[in-house]
Amino acid sequence: MGADIITVSTDTQFTHLAWQRSEKELANVKYSMAADPTGAVSRMFGVYNEENGLDLRGTFLISPEGKLMGMEMNFYNLGRNIDELMRKFKANIYMMKKGGNEVCPSKWKDEGDKTLVNPGAKMVGRVHEALQGS
Amino acid sequence: MAETMTTGLKLGQRVPDFELVTYEPSKGDFGKFSLKDQIASKRWTILFFYPADFTFV
Repeated sequence: MGADIITVSTDTQFTHLAWQRSEKELANVKYSMAADPTGAVSRMFGVYNEENGLDLRGTFLISPEGKLMGMEMNFYNLGRNIDELMRKFKANIYMMKKGGNEVCPSKWKDEGDKTLVNPGAKMVGRVHEALQGS
Repeated sequence: MAETMTTGLKLGQRVPDFELVTYEPSKGDFGKFSLKDQIASKRWTILFFYPADFTFV
């Protein structure tokens, strides 16, 4: 299933262009760089800082049906781990494919890793055993 | 500086439609992002907010 990464800041599209062309780290960028100078969309997602007009470091995962499936917000000084973002993304796709009968525990990384199937009353207090079993 | 950052959006709920003007590095041109278009083409969206251009992300 396809996905699109959209980066968003309160800079304009003109600033995005200038930054992408001048910063060598961004030379091979493929994703869309979106401009939210009024902060309208940033406010909707709760990442807009009214004091300085800048966005906090927030990541949001939206399903093909337009549902919010995941979110993560960090204060200014912490960079995000792209591996964790991809893990959550793959897990969401996997779980959707399985129709809601399987859940991905914290150590799940990719298809084939241990999942929990039909977590219910019989698993209460027995998660350890369920994670050990095949 | 304390922030009260709570989003009105809830996990599992539909995100209201929105549009954003974009710069598309792959085309070297400006473009448009629309959630409605993403839903129509059945694609996932990863929105990645950051404070400002010309800083680390």
